[in-house]
Amino acid sequence: MRLPFRFVMLAALGAVLATGWARAQEVTFKDPTGDDNGPGKYTYPTDTVYKPGSFDLTELKVKQSGDKVNFDVSVNSALDDPWGMKVGFAVQMVFIFIDTDGKEGSGNTKGLPGLNVAFASKDAWDRVVILSPQPPGRVKSEVEIKGGAMRSAIIVPNRTRGSGRTISATVDKKDLGDGDITAWGYQVVMQSNEGFPAATDLLTRKVNEYEGQHRFGGGTDGDCDPHVMDVLAGDAMGDKSEIDAQHKMLAYECNADGTPKTMATLTMVHKK
Amino acid sequence: MPSSRRADRPPERTMMRSAKRYAIPLLLGFALTGAALGQEFKINWGGTIYTKWLWGNARNAGSLYNFTTVPGEGYGDNGQGNEIEILLSGKLSKKLELRARVHSRFSQNFWTNFGGFGGRNPAGSGGDCIGGDCGEFDPRSNQYVKLRGATLIFTPGYSWLDSAQLGANDWGQFDPFVIGRIRYIDRDNGAGLLLQGSAAGRRLTWDLARISLPRLWAGPNFSTGTFTAADAAYGAQFKFAVTPMFDFGGIGEYVNDMEVDATDRNFDNGRNVRTRFRNTVVGAKTGIHVGPKVDIRGAFYYSSHDSAPDLGAPGSFGLAGFSPVIAGRHNDNSWKANVDLNDPFGIGLSFNLEGFFIGAEYTSMMAARRETDVLLTEGHDAAFAFPGPSNAAFGVFGGNPTRIGYGGWDGNAVQVATINVDNEFTDFDETMAETAIGWKGFTVTPVLAKGPVEISGEYTYITYDTNWQAWGDPSRGIEDTDFAAHEGDTGVGHNFRSAYAPFQDKKTHIALIKGKYVIEVGKGIDLFGKVKYIKDEDNRMNDPRYLPFQSGDCPGGGVDCAGNRNFYSPGHSTADIYGNPPVITVNGVTGYQWKPFDSLADDDRNLKYWMFNVGAGYQLTEDLYGSATYQYFNADLFDGNTAMQGYRLHEMASGKHKKNQLIAKFRYTLAGLSECGLEYQYNFGTFEPDFGGGFVTQFASDEVSRNVHVPVGSPGFAGRFGGWNSLLKREFDQQRLKAYVKVQF
Repeated sequence: MRLPFRFVMLAALGAVLATGWARAQEVTFKDPTGDDNGPGKYTYPTDTVYKPGSFDLTELKVKQSGDKVNFDVSVNSALDDPWGMKVGFAVQMVFIFIDTDGKEGSGNTKGLPGLNVAFASKDAWDRVVILSPQPPGRVKSEVEIKGGAMRSAIIVPNRTRGSGRTISATVDKKDLGDGDITAWGYQVVMQSNEGFPAATDLLTRKVNEYEGQHRFGGGTDGDCDPHVMDVLAGDAMGDKSEIDAQHKMLAYECNADGTPKTMATLTMVHKK
Repeated sequence: MPSSRRADRPPERTMMRSAKRYAIPLLLGFALTGAALGQEFKINWGGTIYTKWLWGNARNAGSLYNFTTVPGEGYGDNGQGNEIEILLSGKLSKKLELRARVHSRFSQNFWTNFGGFGGRNPAGSGGDCIGGDCGEFDPRSNQYVKLRGATLIFTPGYSWLDSAQLGANDWGQFDPFVIGRIRYIDRDNGAGLLLQGSAAGRRLTWDLARISLPRLWAGPNFSTGTFTAADAAYGAQFKFAVTPMFDFGGIGEYVNDMEVDATDRNFDNGRNVRTRFRNTVVGAKTGIHVGPKVDIRGAFYYSSHDSAPDLGAPGSFGLAGFSPVIAGRHNDNSWKANVDLNDPFGIGLSFNLEGFFIGAEYTSMMAARRETDVLLTEGHDAAFAFPGPSNAAFGVFGGNPTRIGYGGWDGNAVQVATINVDNEFTDFDETMAETAIGWKGFTVTPVLAKGPVEISGEYTYITYDTNWQAWGDPSRGIEDTDFAAHEGDTGVGHNFRSAYAPFQDKKTHIALIKGKYVIEVGKGIDLFGKVKYIKDEDNRMNDPRYLPFQSGDCPGGGVDCAGNRNFYSPGHSTADIYGNPPVITVNGVTGYQWKPFDSLADDDRNLKYWMFNVGAGYQLTEDLYGSATYQYFNADLFDGNTAMQGYRLHEMASGKHKKNQLIAKFRYTLAGLSECGLEYQYNFGTFEPDFGGGFVTQFASDEVSRNVHVPVGSPGFAGRFGGWNSLLKREFDQQRLKAYVKVQF
């Protein structure tokens, strides 16, 4: 009878430890409200489907459960589906960039097509998870065409859904790579779902000098400005000081011909 | 999903393929003009080719759309066709941008037209052009390509003006209660002038618009008269975000449908105009955003309108009037208040609450007709769209079969704040809109989202601002009303554009629970299901003074009714619509042809409606997603007996309705394909009529059989206008399919 008792005790201990370990596999980052203006002066499109707060990132929660990793991205507005996308949200498009190895120069320093951002060498990304209301097949198709050499690092979840103020998706841990998710660096880029993107853009909505019915404003008509409404910045604790940090990170300069002189360069945030 | 409904395709698409590469003469002209002027601008162009394949066993082939009510237009469930749209855009300078779109439409451009040759000349000789039979002589079947919209956008850089837009616009910048997003087939059919500006770092924004009034539908009787070119709707709005926690705004609209004054005989000083229809709406909105957990919003609108019958606007309607606005001079208001509680307990459980009132006489000519859902509730299901058990209107008369078909449209309806509802030129897989005019009540929707599980519910209570007797004005005749009832309020649903009935004393309860769950097997199996319940009670006539005849007027026993009318006010009696039956003898049985209307219960309505659905979806391959759904509808309806007769015009729907839907959907994606999908439905069910007693059953003649498609000799009864209601149990069997491929370039 001894052996089974020991076995049970060890199993129970193992389960407790495993549960504890599983609980540890969660990381949350906060972002202040009111900073959904990109480098500082971006404005929403004028159509009423773009409700205030729709692109105002408030939180990223990453949680590993077994061999799955779940991403929850929250915004400062109730999600809506005015375009009948059938997944609980419609206007948002979220890119979650992940630096899984933390090695300088390892990974991609270019952003995805349409975002007009770069990443600092020390924060080069290794994987990006796209949360889009478009059918996964459509997103994968766009990735296939426009992803170039970064295609293999782009992960499109089989299903993405929105509920309340949170957009969620689950991916296989193996697709993200080895390592502790709590040790990784993250960056979230808030964009908008554009069903008819430019040939160079990965389902992203453009930022122009003047906002239009379906275009963001406050940038330039070229592609030297970051087409990004909100990102994580600073310590990602949701402190108001992170607004300035975001504006500095997204600062850019253009040449006279509209090409980038200084591109907005993103850095990752890490669990503190 | 057809192009006409996909709003994630904004018109400001930017197409980056080089014009040089795919030059067509028009584009070359643009490019050369630009080069000749020495300017450095590029015309971008792109577009879509959309192919649709319809199949169905209703065997209609009038058009490549499933549904329309527009007289003279075809509808169908069979055929194949293509349409193409070409979009141009260009930034001529920092301050000037252009956009334009040319587009063919499916209409009657079937592949079987073989390019659109021949046909009846002149088009329409010998009847309406239906099914492409006018060939090259009618634009609906000769593959014509038409300018669908052209827009110039000025951004002059003035401190007081952000932009000025001239030309096509869907007006999605405004408010669905006042000026809603407009799409009548195309988003770019509406046009006008839009000025937009801002101040205080864009915390204050304003819009001014002059919208040319659509002559096709934006006036009484779906017309803006004969002098149409100067008619307009004027809109203004502002929004002020005082702090991130508090904002407010205002909106106004003035619609002016003018006619030349025929009494002005002096042309030397110009000609006077008079107003055929005018409509004013003002509104105020506010939002209090307490934090990430609580959001509060409110909106109030006041409308007034007036029309001039001597200029062609209807002075009144009968029992089944058709118009996008009610006749005469009216004012009313609407309001809505919402509270969103986002996961207040931190357990993934959120609540949305909405209180609403949409006045019976609230009128905004330019309110959204189908593109925006103004209420939180799911409302009614689109499987029951029209009065008849098969979704036919006026089905008691020959030549009025169902158009959308027994299965109706997919899903539940969206609600709009107008009777000017537009479901024209849609297919069964699209969303149906229903009017919410007169609705008042509240909705509560809890949503629990936790990991792979999402469960949501709804409870809605609706009573009606249209609860009245004799159209709310007993001083007038029962067939003399300002209210356009369209198809009326009979049937399982409430008929998508019917807000008014002569007698109403109604309340509605809607309750549902639905859920989604992902089973992590393979690529994940999506499970979903729903249970919905609707209880509708309507006493309709609730005061004996409105009974059509005096008590004991029809003594029975084969004795003729005396015909002693009951007057609810001097000279007015409901006997005008609820006439007494003649005494008939059929197969030796003598009695009344229909039950005399002698009880307040004769027109009562009582609906107990259940809907269940369950289904599963799976990513079958990297490119192919498929789902299968089973839906069951069970409606136990008493909707008046033979004394009421569905207002004499529609098939009676009292009885038991059981409808089943087996639905298979597939979505296919390849690199380069923007959309590709297929939906197949097998709809089957029964209707067991229960029209009560008190009448002599008749049997269908050969003529009745031909007209309304029932077996010769089958039981039923002929109503006041000779329309036939069958007493046979009906068995429905409908199959239909829509497949489409959409490619952007």
